[in-house]
Order: sequence, then structure tokens, then C-alpha cells
Amino acid sequence: MNPNDSDASRFTPATADRRGERDLDDLLVHVARGDQVAFEALYDRLAGPVYGVIRRVLRDPSQSEEVAQEVLLEVWRTATRFDPAMGGAATWVSTIAHRRAIDRIRSTTAAADREQKTADVRPPHDEVAEAVEASLDRERVRRCLESLTEMQRESITLAYYGGHSYRQVAELLNVTLGAIKTRIRDGLIRMRDCLGVN
Amino acid sequence: MRFFRQDLHTLTGAYALDALDQGSELTRFNRHLSRCQSCASEVRGFREVATAMAFAATTEPPPEMRDQVMAAVARTRQLPPEVRTHARPRRTRSAAPWIPWLSGAIATAGIVIAVLFGFAQAHTQNELNQARAQNQALAAAQARVEAALNQAREHDQALAEILGAPHVTLLSQRTTKGGVAVVVLDAATRKLVVATSGLPALPAGKVYQLWLIGPVKIVSAGLLPTAQAGVTTPVVATGITKGDKLGLTVEPAGGSKQPTTTPILALPLPV
Repeated sequence: MNPNDSDASRFTPATADRRGERDLDDLLVHVARGDQVAFEALYDRLAGPVYGVIRRVLRDPSQSEEVAQEVLLEVWRTATRFDPAMGGAATWVSTIAHRRAIDRIRSTTAAADREQKTADVRPPHDEVAEAVEASLDRERVRRCLESLTEMQRESITLAYYGGHSYRQVAELLNVTLGAIKTRIRDGLIRMRDCLGVN
Repeated sequence: MRFFRQDLHTLTGAYALDALDQGSELTRFNRHLSRCQSCASEVRGFREVATAMAFAATTEPPPEMRDQVMAAVARTRQLPPEVRTHARPRRTRSAAPWIPWLSGAIATAGIVIAVLFGFAQAHTQNELNQARAQNQALAAAQARVEAALNQAREHDQALAEILGAPHVTLLSQRTTKGGVAVVVLDAATRKLVVATSGLPALPAGKVYQLWLIGPVKIVSAGLLPTAQAGVTTPVVATGITKGDKLGLTVEPAGGSKQPTTTPILALPLPV
């Protein structure tokens, strides 16, 4: 790839639809200028992933809906300060969504409740495989997660979908902090290569 | 120290998955990230993996949510596009001194020095490197750069990212009223850093305002800070779109929504 071909080099082929990625960025530029119609289009593209990832982390549907609404409003409010260096609109929005879900967990006193629920956390390949919607994305992510070692897969899914800190993951898997850090990082490197993120 | 750095570096994965605990570790890692380009680019790649995982979790939200969000949008004011502020959800302001960051960023500061000293003729990365190699100038410049960066520390990470980007373009142009604007443009992220040197001093109640002048719209890119010894501290502007030119006008204090005077600069931005 031509390194100067900045447009082509910076968008992920990993997300939902490759061709749509540029459109999302353009939409966000219009949203930043106060265009509510553009925001509706953005909503239709991103509400599913936003709600989905929050729901995966929080599990509780009504809490998830509340946080998803906050996130989407946040996107509207701060679109003016969207920073493309973070990797495109999809990444920007999903990062906010995931972080808000994490904030919700860590700020609520439902820690005990969470601990109880960790028993439910499974590597997502089971759930993903069960998913009704066999989207290309799901399929790719499932396949790439399966290419990891079990330890890498568990560490990544407990952290991302389970919403646990790496210290908690170390505790859950009964390994050292150093080992978890390395497993998460090595696993992500493999995922990145598998998904074709440059 | 080396071990410590290495140790921090392996946190890129946990960081990208939001799996660092709030507190000193996150603060330390954020600081590390602002001066470690390879870490920052690794985090970007990992975030894309996380994005794919989010999309893989796509779930249809309750149908009434759409109307609720749209209603909230209709009554919610957007943040003004202040170029000096970056809404970085991950950013944790650190009370720690920024001096270590500065020493770590001396390499990237080479470009800032070029900017501040108006090496207006340096049009290529090569020439920049030559400029950087002028150690004597570096040493003499350091005090001023420190002062300039001190002021710029609020967005140090944004600066470091642009200045450290792999394919920046250096642009410069004289204004019609004298003085020069120097721009470091990162076309890939559509951001730029601009500093000026030798602009005419303005009477009280007037400011210089930057604009992104597009074929269709003109968007404010913020106000130039007051010059110190003829040099303005670097300003970051984001969201450049194709066809934009960087404009500069004189406006009443506080700035205007749209330019009210003839631009004294219109520098095409190749993105």
C-alpha cells in the first residue's frame, strides 16, 4: 500500500462494512455542523453496535438502554470535537460506548452483583455462534477469536465483553498480572492481523 | 527505567480494552502514550479490533429509543468547535509536572522549533531534518520552545500526535500584512498545527481568528493566542475537509461566527 495514500490506509477493514466507513466519517462531519438528518443516518448505522456492546457489558436491558442513549447524545454533543486520530467515526463512537458501560459498572455499587455474574461470562464464541444474525462481522470476529489460544481468548473477552479490569481478569483466571497483560496484548496482535487491521 | 517502560508498553492491550483501573496507572500510561508513537499506533490498531468486537455484538435497540434520542438531540446544544480543547474520553488530566514529557518530546519539538522560527523555506521532511540537525539553533531555541510548549501543554498529546505522524507536510505562507504562518499538516488524520511569527500587533479589542475555508462552508478554527516575542504558540485544528484553505482574519475580541474582514491568509490544505 502506498504509504502516502492516507485515505486508503487509515480505515479499518475490520468493521461492519468496509465501504461504509468513509461515509460514517463524512456523516460525522455533517453532524458536527448541526445536521440532524445526518445524525439520524448515523443513528441508524451505529445504534445497534452501541446498544449491543453496552448490553454485552452491562447485561441489564433497561440500564443498557439508558447508557446507550447517553452515549448517542454525547456523540451529537461532541461531534464538533471528533478526533480522527483515534481511528474513524466507528471507532470513536464504539470507544465512547464501551467506556461509558465500563464507567457505569465501576461507579455503581453493584460490584457484588457483578461478581456473581462473572460466573456467566463465557468466551463469546459460544454466544456469537448462537447469534441469530450471521453478519459478516460476527463471522469474522468469531473466526478470529477462535484463532487465539484459549487463554488469550478468555482474557480478551473477559476484559472487553465482560467489562473486567485486567487485574480482575488475572484474579478470575488465577494467573499473574504480567501474564494477563501479555496475553491480552498478544491476543490483540493476532486479532488485528486476522481481521486485517493495518 | 527500561524495565519500567517495557512494563508500561505491554499495557497497550489492556488500555485499548478499557481494562486499566482508574488512577495512577492510567495517568502514567496516558502520559507514556503521549510520547510513545509506537504505543499510540498500537493502541489505534487494537481499538479497531475492539470496534470490530463491538460491531459483532450488534443488537437491535428498543424501537422507542430512536425517537427519544432524536428528541434529546433536538433540544441539546452542541459543544462549540474549540480547536484548543480536545474531547478525549480517555484523557486524564495529570497534575504531575509536564517537564518529563518535554524532555521526551525533544525530537518532535524539532518541528515546533522549525515552526516557531519560521523556517518558511523548509518544504520537505528532508529539509526539516536538516533544520533539526542545527544543534546550535536548537540550544538557543530551547528556552523559547519550553515557554511555548508550556502554554501548549493542555493539548500536548494532540500536538505530539500530529508532530510525530509519519507523513506530515510542512506548509508556510506570508500573510498580506507581513509575518508568516507555518503549518504542520497531517493529511491522514486531517489535523494541523499552526504557529505564526511576525504578524502585526493588533489594537486592543481585536484578535486573529483562524478559519477552515471550504468551497461550501467556512468554519472557525479558533483564535490565535497572543504572540510572545512575535511568535504565537502552536494551535491545533481538526476536521479539515477536502478543498479547505486555512484562512486568517482580524476579528473583534472573542472571535466571530463567520469572517467579518478580508482574510490576510488563504493557504490551501492538501488533504
